[in-house]
Amino acid sequence: MNILFTILFLSAAVFLLITAPEALLPALLDGAGKGATVCVSLIATYSVWMGLMRVWEDSGVATKVSKLVKPLAKGLFKTDDEEALRAISMNLSVNLLGISGVATPYGIKAANLLDRTENAEYSSAMLFVLNATSLQLIPTSIIAVRVAMNSANPTDIVIPTLLATVFSTLLGVILTKLFIHPKTEKNIGKSTGILRIKQKTKGAGI
Amino acid sequence: MNIILALLIPIIFVLSFIYAAIKKVKIYDSFTEGVKGAIPLIVSIFPYLAAVTMLFKLLEVSGLEARLTAWIAPVFTFTGVPQEISSLVLIKPLSGSGSIAVLTQILERYGVDSYAARCACVAYGASDTIFYIGAVYFANLKRKRLTAALIISVVSYLTAVIFCCFLCRIM
Repeated sequence: MNILFTILFLSAAVFLLITAPEALLPALLDGAGKGATVCVSLIATYSVWMGLMRVWEDSGVATKVSKLVKPLAKGLFKTDDEEALRAISMNLSVNLLGISGVATPYGIKAANLLDRTENAEYSSAMLFVLNATSLQLIPTSIIAVRVAMNSANPTDIVIPTLLATVFSTLLGVILTKLFIHPKTEKNIGKSTGILRIKQKTKGAGI
Repeated sequence: MNIILALLIPIIFVLSFIYAAIKKVKIYDSFTEGVKGAIPLIVSIFPYLAAVTMLFKLLEVSGLEARLTAWIAPVFTFTGVPQEISSLVLIKPLSGSGSIAVLTQILERYGVDSYAARCACVAYGASDTIFYIGAVYFANLKRKRLTAALIISVVSYLTAVIFCCFLCRIM
């Protein structure tokens, strides 16, 4: 990210230096202002959903949902951290429902929890890829736009969209598994042998 | 379909609160405790988000973004992706609000039910705003191994776009 940021920033800045040097500062201020605006609207969104999230946790709903999704999450993420698995499970479930506002706080929580586990490099990459390629059952915002523009058949894109998003997610998962290796042998082998075998069979099943 | 979608979120709230009341959760205490977490979360995200939005604004103003789009356009034709949607494909990983604006433009210009518009809709739904999610999720991690995951996400996304334009042709 450091390299990417530097290259893109420098090339755009040099470009502006030649064409319109006076536009640089307004552009930066405008960009920062937009970042601040996004953050303010995020405070509103997160307040609503994180309040609800806490109610879910205190009433035991979160535990129940995560029990359902946990086998899948465990196989995909190769981690045994209970707290992280619970955040991941909630993140995946609300992603499926298409409530992106609540998926993000769970995702950030999961990312922070995964960061302190041994397999962080692999598991946080998997978390990012799953969220970036988005797995959504119903593309609500697109249907809304199509309805607003008087489409003859606003929902006819639902099935192709579902296929496309399943395709991108599967491809992302496969590529992550191929190129970012979970350190199953070295790290988890240290703790217990049985754990390692269990993880391997789980991984093969998915 | 739309009625179900409109009801989904209210139903989730009502059911969650009823269930919590049955479980004798102190809902007010619990809810406010959750809201409290929003501010530190935003504070940790803000610097990264601001840096990324500044960068995007700079790319847009300098005209570099438009140039990149022009360079890449022939590649789109080659892979069967209609050239009309190339700007959407490029902006989608970068900006959520930007891509919805471009999507609306495409739908207006070519007609909601045209081939290009259908491709645009499916391409829009195929993936999320990858770079934004990267900035937010990995904001305060110690081990920032983002590059590989970023490349994987972009590759999956582009492949899915090619795949979905093919789908729109046959479905």
